[in-house]
Amino acid sequence: MVTEEDIEHVSKLMKINVNDHAEYVDKVRAMINYFDILDSAGVESEEVSMQEISISKLREDKYIPFDEKLIEKLNHYKGTYVRAPKMSS
Amino acid sequence: MNLKISALEFVQQVQDGNISAEDFVAKTMEQIHSVDEKLHAFLSVNENAINQARLIDKKIKSGDKVGACFGMPISIKDNMCIKNEKTTCASKMLENFISPYDATVITKLKQQDAIFIGKTNMDEFAMGLSTEFSAFGPSRNPWNPEYVPGGSSGGSAVSVSAFECVASLGSDTGGSVRNPASFCSVVGYKPTYGLISRYGLISYANSIEQIGPITRTVKDVAFMLNIIAGIDPNDNTTIDNKNEDYLSGIDSGIEGKKIGIITDMMTDGVDPSVLSATKDAISKLEGLGAICEEISIEMVKYSVAAYYTITATEAGSNLARYDNLRYGYDFSVEGYEFNSYISKAREKFGPEVTRRMIIGGFVPSAGHAGKYFLKALKVKSKLTKELDEAFKKFDLLVAPTVPILPFKIGEKINDPVSLFLVDINTVTANLTGKPAISIPYSISNGLPIGIQLFADSNQDKLLLQAAYALEQTVKLPEVPL
Repeated sequence: MVTEEDIEHVSKLMKINVNDHAEYVDKVRAMINYFDILDSAGVESEEVSMQEISISKLREDKYIPFDEKLIEKLNHYKGTYVRAPKMSS
Repeated sequence: MNLKISALEFVQQVQDGNISAEDFVAKTMEQIHSVDEKLHAFLSVNENAINQARLIDKKIKSGDKVGACFGMPISIKDNMCIKNEKTTCASKMLENFISPYDATVITKLKQQDAIFIGKTNMDEFAMGLSTEFSAFGPSRNPWNPEYVPGGSSGGSAVSVSAFECVASLGSDTGGSVRNPASFCSVVGYKPTYGLISRYGLISYANSIEQIGPITRTVKDVAFMLNIIAGIDPNDNTTIDNKNEDYLSGIDSGIEGKKIGIITDMMTDGVDPSVLSATKDAISKLEGLGAICEEISIEMVKYSVAAYYTITATEAGSNLARYDNLRYGYDFSVEGYEFNSYISKAREKFGPEVTRRMIIGGFVPSAGHAGKYFLKALKVKSKLTKELDEAFKKFDLLVAPTVPILPFKIGEKINDPVSLFLVDINTVTANLTGKPAISIPYSISNGLPIGIQLFADSNQDKLLLQAAYALEQTVKLPEVPL
């Protein structure tokens, strides 16, 4: 059973303000509690299948020129740098 | 001017000179201005569409080569990029985002002289199944505006159903094309995973989502697939379909085909009118020469939980880019510390997106991944094996598209688990990568019911043949606009 503290902790890690308890904590808890049904699926011995793609089939790793200056589409930039908030107060 | 024609009829009539692209597009714009205030299918409309259609008419008159769409007005779900146009994902976070490039599907449609009549409403970031989670207000069902049109591609389905375009593109992560198609009585197609490029589709859950057409007829789906399907160097998950012609042989019929009836999608929770329509459709399929037998797919019961666990995990990762530095809205960084700035900026996400981000952080986290994410992946694996086994015995599978009728706006919005279960018949195709289609089948108390057919991976052509055969048995009333 997921607790209120679990949800508040993860929200902080995901950089989300949980300012509406009913909308976020209560509903998220109901949603995650529904996932407990997975416990009765009996899939413990099942292998997880992954899609594999050979490196040779990937697109060549090379620079493709773009005809516009993408940085100019940002709201906050200076020269060739993204403008970000300071890392600590 | 009759707007109630199919894509193929539009092409034929323009080619024959019976109608001009300009007149048709102008009439379509009139229709949008007449009905969209009530239905809210569109988030933005291309006010230059009539001029674009006029240019195509000029090409036709001067004998220049014209693309297969001949100026057909198509609507596009607002999570696909059209260069220099807004792509909002129905989110305040991207309210003013202008796409710097075209999605591959857009490039292909442009090459065939399609006209993008507008961008359609959706649940924010495609997270929802009723279009109620759009940050710009819900779309409404043309069959009864008090009811939801389904989602997340609700605006696309409404625009086709209400004659505001000829065809539309939606995206289907857990039923987001088929569900609104069923609720609005139009055709919705989720192709084999990889058949259509996702380049330029704003990511939600990359491992299972696909772009798919929403149209008035099954033949129109085939027409659209002929244009947009195929390998793309910009999307490594695309598959080479060898330029398959999905229209040729679409009337081949289903004589002798074996069809499995998925009993786990027809349980007690299914609305009696939906169950009755499905049984009737199965009788029609048998009447067309198919051999129908029941089959149980045990993992269906767990598919919704697996689906939401996997999609929330991928969404948590995909939405991390919305930090308001790379993507976002105009909100000054001055006076904020890094983490608090991002948290503050993310308050622009709506409640459903916020909830799924929290879940997406929780279910794959250390200490919880074994209970949730890993088990979800194992359910996905086992479900895929079950379907692979089923397709050794059957050519196709059948079930209702949605277990219930369209519901009233606001009826389920505060009960997330009840909303989850509306997806129970559609997520299987996404988790397994198989193609599936919703075909309009009947109307109960003025509300549409769709029937869903599934095929094995890369059997899209066979699936369309079967859907076409079933469609020919159906005669439905006109939408009461």
